[in-house]
Amino acid sequence: MASMVASGNRDGQPLVPKGVDPETCMIVFKNHWAQVVKILEKHDPLRSSSTLTSLSVINLTTGSSGSPRFGPIPGDEANAVQNYVEHMLFLLMEEDSGQAGAMGPILEFVVMENVMERLFVWSLRREFTDDMKLEQLKMYEMLVGQARQPLLHHKPILRPLMMLLSSCSGTAAPQVEAELVLLLNQLCCVLAKDPSILELFFHTSEDQGATNFLIFSLLIPFIHREGTVGQQARDALLLIMALSAENERVAKHVAENTYFCPVLATGLSGLYSSLPTKLEVPNEEWHCLHKEDWLKMPSLVQFLNSLEFCNAVIQVAHPDIRDQLVGYIYNGFLVPVLAPALHKLTLEEVMTTTAYLDLFLRSVTEPALLQTFLSFILLHRHESVHILDTLVSRINTPFQLGTVSLALFRTLIGLYCEDVMLQLVLRYLIPCNHMMLSQRRVVRERDCYSVSAAKILALTPSCCSPDRSPPPLRQLDSILFSKGAETPNSTRATEEDDGSGNSCTIGSEIYLDVSYLHYLYDARLSISGCIQACQVWSALYDGEDPPPEKYQPGVLEEPALTRTQMLELEWDDSYDACPVQTAEAPVESKPPQQPPAEPPKHIQEMRKTAIMLVKGTYIEENEFQDDVMVYDLVAKKDARDVERQTDCKSNLQNNNTAAAELGDDLLAQYEELIRTLDSEAGGKQVKTDAEVKKPVAPAAEVEEEEEEEEMDFTSFSAETPEPEKVQSPFGPKFCSGSVGRSHSVPFTGPFVSVLLSRMENMLSNSLHVNLLLTGILAQLAAYPQPLLRSFLLNTNLVFQPTVRSLYQVLATVKHQIEEQAASRKDFPELITAAQHWLLARETSFMAAGDNTPTSSPPPKPKAISLDRTDVFATVLFTEFLKELAAIAQEHSILSYIPMEE
Amino acid sequence: MLPFFFFSLQRSDNEEQSGHGEQRASPARLPFGKKQLPPIPKNAAPITKPVTTGTPAQSANGTHASYGPFYLEYSLLAEFTLVIKQKLPGIYVQPSYKSALMWFGVIFIRHGLYQDGVFKFTVYIPDNYPDGECPKLVFDIPVFHPLVDPVSGELDVRRAFTKWRRNHNHIWQVLMYARTIFYKINTVEPLNPEAAVLYDKDVHLFKSKVVDSVKLCNSHLFDQPKIDDPYAISFSPWNPAVHEEAKERMFTYKRRPEDHHKGTQVSGLSWVKPGSTQPFSKEDGSPQS
Repeated sequence: MASMVASGNRDGQPLVPKGVDPETCMIVFKNHWAQVVKILEKHDPLRSSSTLTSLSVINLTTGSSGSPRFGPIPGDEANAVQNYVEHMLFLLMEEDSGQAGAMGPILEFVVMENVMERLFVWSLRREFTDDMKLEQLKMYEMLVGQARQPLLHHKPILRPLMMLLSSCSGTAAPQVEAELVLLLNQLCCVLAKDPSILELFFHTSEDQGATNFLIFSLLIPFIHREGTVGQQARDALLLIMALSAENERVAKHVAENTYFCPVLATGLSGLYSSLPTKLEVPNEEWHCLHKEDWLKMPSLVQFLNSLEFCNAVIQVAHPDIRDQLVGYIYNGFLVPVLAPALHKLTLEEVMTTTAYLDLFLRSVTEPALLQTFLSFILLHRHESVHILDTLVSRINTPFQLGTVSLALFRTLIGLYCEDVMLQLVLRYLIPCNHMMLSQRRVVRERDCYSVSAAKILALTPSCCSPDRSPPPLRQLDSILFSKGAETPNSTRATEEDDGSGNSCTIGSEIYLDVSYLHYLYDARLSISGCIQACQVWSALYDGEDPPPEKYQPGVLEEPALTRTQMLELEWDDSYDACPVQTAEAPVESKPPQQPPAEPPKHIQEMRKTAIMLVKGTYIEENEFQDDVMVYDLVAKKDARDVERQTDCKSNLQNNNTAAAELGDDLLAQYEELIRTLDSEAGGKQVKTDAEVKKPVAPAAEVEEEEEEEEMDFTSFSAETPEPEKVQSPFGPKFCSGSVGRSHSVPFTGPFVSVLLSRMENMLSNSLHVNLLLTGILAQLAAYPQPLLRSFLLNTNLVFQPTVRSLYQVLATVKHQIEEQAASRKDFPELITAAQHWLLARETSFMAAGDNTPTSSPPPKPKAISLDRTDVFATVLFTEFLKELAAIAQEHSILSYIPMEE
Repeated sequence: MLPFFFFSLQRSDNEEQSGHGEQRASPARLPFGKKQLPPIPKNAAPITKPVTTGTPAQSANGTHASYGPFYLEYSLLAEFTLVIKQKLPGIYVQPSYKSALMWFGVIFIRHGLYQDGVFKFTVYIPDNYPDGECPKLVFDIPVFHPLVDPVSGELDVRRAFTKWRRNHNHIWQVLMYARTIFYKINTVEPLNPEAAVLYDKDVHLFKSKVVDSVKLCNSHLFDQPKIDDPYAISFSPWNPAVHEEAKERMFTYKRRPEDHHKGTQVSGLSWVKPGSTQPFSKEDGSPQS
């Protein structure tokens, strides 16, 4: 009783029932217990006080089967016990701990007398019904949740609790489950606050010989449960996961002795299988699952909950658990479930899976989990084809699958992931094969004078010139850069003061395109964000790091596919990672010399379809076979690609005399193109055929001879190192005919080529496809890596004749637009109508809040049909030019801002 | 030794001088209407009134006219970042608030004949930059020097840049040149024949004239800037209450990349092992293994 006397701090406990002092409480508690014990002993068959020994032999399962052993216990006695116990628990709960954390007197008594355990045995002895369990669970829930002193440290309390819990495992009654999970959740909260109890939890479990760490095991079955129960269980598990990060023992236990990770991963598979295999697509514009879409799909919500949980576990758990879970997700969900789903039989199914994959990628935030998904996409082969290649090839399908695939790639590019960008684009640019050898130094060169921006903007179709648009659309006059607008007098004064007549503020009123300022601003944000994100990358990708010579393509690939396998790649030969193989792959136009077998029939079919599509005679045939869709939906391939390969082949054979004998058509086309562009741009670069063939020497280089200063300012060419004297258009490797990569055909990769060929068809693409396309290209252009930047934006870079650049494609589109505009008298009016509608659309999105473009489709344009894709494409094209030019301009500043180390 | 003083820009903090302010300075250029963009190049026909209808030829020109100022602005921004990059010893420049074609600068001479000289100057860039002539550099006070016009204060820049070549010549080179003349004196075809003759015939007298000139320049150091502009460089006597804290910051402040884009918390991903070009080549491995 010493502790009771000492504990005089009752000021802080106004909740003591009816202001009763602790001493009285103790007396009341003891009295109640005496009454209870009387009843218990009356029914105790052993009449022994050593309940402890008896307990250890009690079989819990028989106990829970509810058969009373020694005859029924009268109801009034049971009630009496119940009443006493309730009161006792209340007293226990309200008791404060003694001095220096010592037990309060009631607790001490409870521990000494083993009250809880005896009560549990008592309830077992009676019928152990669900109600009984519920009652006991609630009792503990109350105790754990509301007790003022730590109770779980004491074995006489913890042990019966654990027994109760284990007796509840496998229960089916929803009420009991709910209560059980609630209690478990509470226990986990206590654990999280006071990890010292953890050891006790383990020990207690050991005593029983049952599963270690019972509370954890009990939670596992609820991982994927819907609703509150599932949420509470997941929250509780997360607390344990967080614990595992610091506690090796918990981590080891979870990873080695439980099915936590497999359950989690296979659960994903289970939930995935209940997702709809075909989505009801609201409209043609739809291309990805927005929140409002998936909120309407309970099964998807449930899947995302579990995925989010995996994400959270990976975030907080011990690395061992994380690695295990990630492995199970890869081998238990992605490979066996998602991969086949991506190769389903029908277009709709494949499209649906693609949309799911996109959504999953957008939902996952933890790098380790993203890595799992990404390595699945980049490295996994399904039926010997990389998932990535399949996905890329689908961009070109003329169906909604193409649009959804585009949206997926938008997500992928937006991750700023080096591995993704490497596989998609950069690995094709690293060898620098796509440009003339003499041009390599241009890669890192800076466009000081916005030359590229000017050339890009010069592609603006005449019908869309800024001063052609009527006022509401054209905001030219909104900014007036007038001379000395703020202080005209002082400016004038200073000019006069400046005796030398230097003036810097000449300039009449100039009208500028306001929207261009917005593009500049956006470009700045997007590039600086990208630069920051890419700081974690391993290399600069500037044409020197990684060195082009050292690039070993396809090291991770399986060594050399056989010819048969190449054929089975279904027309994907040019998409193969290894350029050497590409060059040797059979060319479409003529059958391979030694084919082991004819290509499968459905592939031949597909080629036919594709060729028809390219020729513009493609009609959506209803016999577009399902099996064609299986895993390669290349519905279209550029005719030029075919041509290109033929040319290159002859090129290689003829070595350095190639230039003259190159496929006439192509070269003529190429030169023609350059000439047209040049005259349009009013530039002064490439003039004659001869100049086309020899690498264009930049102005600085030409003027090199005119060097005459006495001061040594030649060394000032900081940005322009001494030019190489190599003048061969194809570089030494083509001349020498050396082995190795000399046979490789310059190719910038399937992704770029597919994007560009879709871009080329801009005029016939629907508006939303073009929005996605231009969005992706703009995002790519914002990447700071010189290889990518120079490829997309540097209009001065001279590429190999077989390489198509973005600028060339844009020029082609401009040409198409000009033709269209010339042939249609109503074109300008239609353009204006389209601009008005697009502007209205924009405003309605702004008003509706961002990022929910599907919520309320804007009213159909009145003056123009959405089917006039050429008109909308023209407007979009013009805006895209501004966007690109702005990006090019910002690159010339942002990428060169020196930073202190 | 240099007297204690502090030079500052009227409207910006001291970061700008050391070039760190570029990030902030340039968005300030963008808000509409505020800043006067430099005028279009002379060879492009300026549009004074919106053309409602026009022939394609005109409109092609219009495209250029509409964007010309942007090209010029960005060319000059690029030049400015180049200047920063060079970290020219003892030279500080700052584009004017009103026009990107006018840069204010100051040069500190740390040894040689002109030791302790602090010369303010203005760079005037032609409005058809980079296709025009080379920029002019005019000292606020004509320094006694063979290559500096004794009346206008203009430095003979042209002898070093007979023909201004785009891509090859940059403004930082002009600044560098302006520094060089004070260390390596050239008397051929002088703008100030008196200085040239003295240097060749009577170095002692030349030296004393130089000392007088340096003194004169320094005595005008605290004068109001010659050109009224918020970004003009102005000097004020050392005032601990004002300058101590700024000095402190200058010496402690290190710009780290993270500080650089606050607000855009994007983080990229990479599992590529440095030196490798294979995805997921880092040691921590791919999940399937």
